[in-house]
Amino acid sequence: MLGSHDALVSELALIVGADAVKAGDLDRHLYGKDAGVARGEVSVVVLPKTARQVAAVVRLAITHGIAVVPRGSGTGLAGGTVPETPAILLVTTRMNQVEVDARNQTAWVGPGTINLDLSNHVVSLGLHFAPDPSSQAACTIGGNVANNSGGPHCLADGSTVNHVLAVEFVTAQGEIVVAGSGAPDPSGLDVRGVMVGSEGTLGVVTRVLVNLLPNPPAIRTMLMAFPEVAGAAATVSDVIAAGIIPAALEMMDRPLIRAVENFVHADLPVDAAAVLLAEVAGHAAGVDVEAQIIEEIATDNGAFQLRRAADVEERELLWKARKSSFGAIAQVAPDYYLHDTVIPRTKLVEVLDQIYEIATRHDVLVLNTIHAGDGNLHPLFAFDGSDPDVVARVSMAADEIVEVSIAAGGMLSGEHGIGLEKRDLMHLVFSPVDLDAQARLRDAFDADGVMNPLKVLPAGARCFDFGRPVPEGVWI
Amino acid sequence: MSVLRSALGKLVGGSSIEIDGAPAAEMSVAPDSAEQIARLLDFASEHGLSVLPWGSGLHQGFGHRVEPDVIVSTSRLSGVIEWNPDDLTVVAGGGTTLGVLDSEIAGRRQSAVLPETAHDATVGGVLAAGVSGWRRLRYGPSRERVLQVVSVTGDGRMVTGGARVVKNVTGYDLPRLMVGSFGSLGIITSVCLKLWPIPEASATVSTNDPERALAICYRPQAVLETRQGVSVYLAGTAAEVEAQATALGGETSEGHSWPEEPSGECVVRVRVLPGDVSSTLKRLGTDEVVGAHGVGEVVAAIEPDEITGHREWVEARGGAVVIERAPTVVYESVDPWGAVPPTVELQRRIKAAFDPLRVLVPGRLPGGV
Repeated sequence: MLGSHDALVSELALIVGADAVKAGDLDRHLYGKDAGVARGEVSVVVLPKTARQVAAVVRLAITHGIAVVPRGSGTGLAGGTVPETPAILLVTTRMNQVEVDARNQTAWVGPGTINLDLSNHVVSLGLHFAPDPSSQAACTIGGNVANNSGGPHCLADGSTVNHVLAVEFVTAQGEIVVAGSGAPDPSGLDVRGVMVGSEGTLGVVTRVLVNLLPNPPAIRTMLMAFPEVAGAAATVSDVIAAGIIPAALEMMDRPLIRAVENFVHADLPVDAAAVLLAEVAGHAAGVDVEAQIIEEIATDNGAFQLRRAADVEERELLWKARKSSFGAIAQVAPDYYLHDTVIPRTKLVEVLDQIYEIATRHDVLVLNTIHAGDGNLHPLFAFDGSDPDVVARVSMAADEIVEVSIAAGGMLSGEHGIGLEKRDLMHLVFSPVDLDAQARLRDAFDADGVMNPLKVLPAGARCFDFGRPVPEGVWI
Repeated sequence: MSVLRSALGKLVGGSSIEIDGAPAAEMSVAPDSAEQIARLLDFASEHGLSVLPWGSGLHQGFGHRVEPDVIVSTSRLSGVIEWNPDDLTVVAGGGTTLGVLDSEIAGRRQSAVLPETAHDATVGGVLAAGVSGWRRLRYGPSRERVLQVVSVTGDGRMVTGGARVVKNVTGYDLPRLMVGSFGSLGIITSVCLKLWPIPEASATVSTNDPERALAICYRPQAVLETRQGVSVYLAGTAAEVEAQATALGGETSEGHSWPEEPSGECVVRVRVLPGDVSSTLKRLGTDEVVGAHGVGEVVAAIEPDEITGHREWVEARGGAVVIERAPTVVYESVDPWGAVPPTVELQRRIKAAFDPLRVLVPGRLPGGV
């Protein structure tokens, strides 16, 4: 039975309180997009504080026949929280409680907790939450779980899924369940593992049990400048081949270095074709050895400048430079489009050459910031969105970058997710049978399409059925 | 049943094989390709047969007992298919043993960091059982190595999940769902794993204070306690291994010598919060026990009639006591898993999505999923 919009709004207010429901035109407009380019249609915004409120909202949505789209801070770039059809936008930012278990080095964290706030919260215990997306000062843990977020330091420690022990979530049927546990290897199917990276399409995460890692006793951070991109890329391959997995291994190309230097003033080598930012972390007796090996490899590959951060301030400045690409871009052009593909890390030079060729051919400006250690490319197009011709060329160039990434053995996304942006490209990397399996999995969670519908999987993913019919009465 | 044998034999191009230690079945076969397995599972679905996938048999003691019509050995899906040492990835058939995998990639000092001493176990079996090596304290559980899994679902579909890249969020994480699924969703035919470089130096240091060891060492590979004492397993550059061994101050030996698996007829995995390992070791009276500090896993040989008592204590502390192996009769009176997980209904639906006719190991998982 469908209720009117006004009835929906007033019933939501009964669940969460009137101050936690936003139904005005301005709010619906503001919440209608994320940090990417897609814009959607929000019926009403609701900001619950508890799992029980979330469950009640989901049950209400079911009775009204309207979808629920979960959202954190809205820093996503792939349209994962942008409703394509009218929906209740369930914003988790008020669910930001943190309960630390110091003895077991874990914490139960509300999904609305800001990523950096969590690490700051446990710094006195000498612990941190490993995933550190560049948006970590704004993005939420719930969003990190939804997108299986990475960040520069996931090279050595892995993405969000490696640090989530359990999730409490509200199912598409409106029930609160917990999957996973603080004890290792919980029995049964790994529902927790599937929830991570599911982009809010399988349920609304209401609490997350995260694993916290000890802060490394020693860190060495190095900036290495190269006259050729190939030298930087070869250094990446050689470091990995030498048996060193740095804590982070990041690359920026010349256009980006110049934009960032103009913004952050970190004394970056603006003449370099590429710089590598490498960090090794660990025991004090080990980091210098590894740092030296990395510097030697860089020198062998033509590095003309090596700079090791002398203190915490310099380290933070270098990382600020790396994580300020967005801000820097604003000085270059009014609009940007940040891409995200992943390739085998040994194919960096080959694919980067192709990216430059594509950009030149379409006459668009591309700046590259790369999680080089794990082959995660982030080509960033800077352009003036008021010129439809430029927008069309950026779009064509972006599509071609996906094609060359896949041709090199890569995938659509390393950390931003599929959302709306890449949903219709999924058939490029998965067969109809593979997509059908994913669609079946989704149906097992949400047969009625309540949770963030029309995301991740293209329409018709479950368009055929060659399986055998299940006989009446079979117990499953 | 001879008709069945003949039909199955035609599908896999061979006759029934003998498998040591396997339960009685109408037929045991060893297909040599994922396509053969797909045809076989399609046939099984059509004829309502139950199927038990079989690697080395090492983990077959986990879970509710299955009375299979057909046992499918993965022994012919063996071997390294693709190794990219510069990318630190390897693709191997599901039936590849850890011994073969290790020997193929050791030349470049790389490791998939799977269980250290289970040389005969298969890659597919280790992942299906979701078991990990002792070094998980440093590298995380086995599932963190899994980048791509190709499997054949219960209704005979060849499904690929994930990709051969080290970082990827493209689509749902089917590879992780396969880990720990005990063959209930599909038969793993090949996997792509992330590798780690083997550190240049390693040492084992004895200590009497595991808490102190965890506090003063930076992410050691393992801190294991047996009735013989506590050992800290260090690895890294020679300088850091030496510095940490000196700081610990115990008897030091070069390299790692891993403890023997507890021996006994009934072995359980006791999974507790990491901080509860010492109290768990104290509570378990047995001498045949290894506890992993900082991880929360304790493997112990105990008497079957002790399971229920220990389970009550452990479950009250958020853990689980899971039977790894026991005489068959034990499974009739003691649940091999213990408490049923709260997502069991959801798990039933997931099972049905991949194996709608309940062909694969029906009822093996908690709650009879």
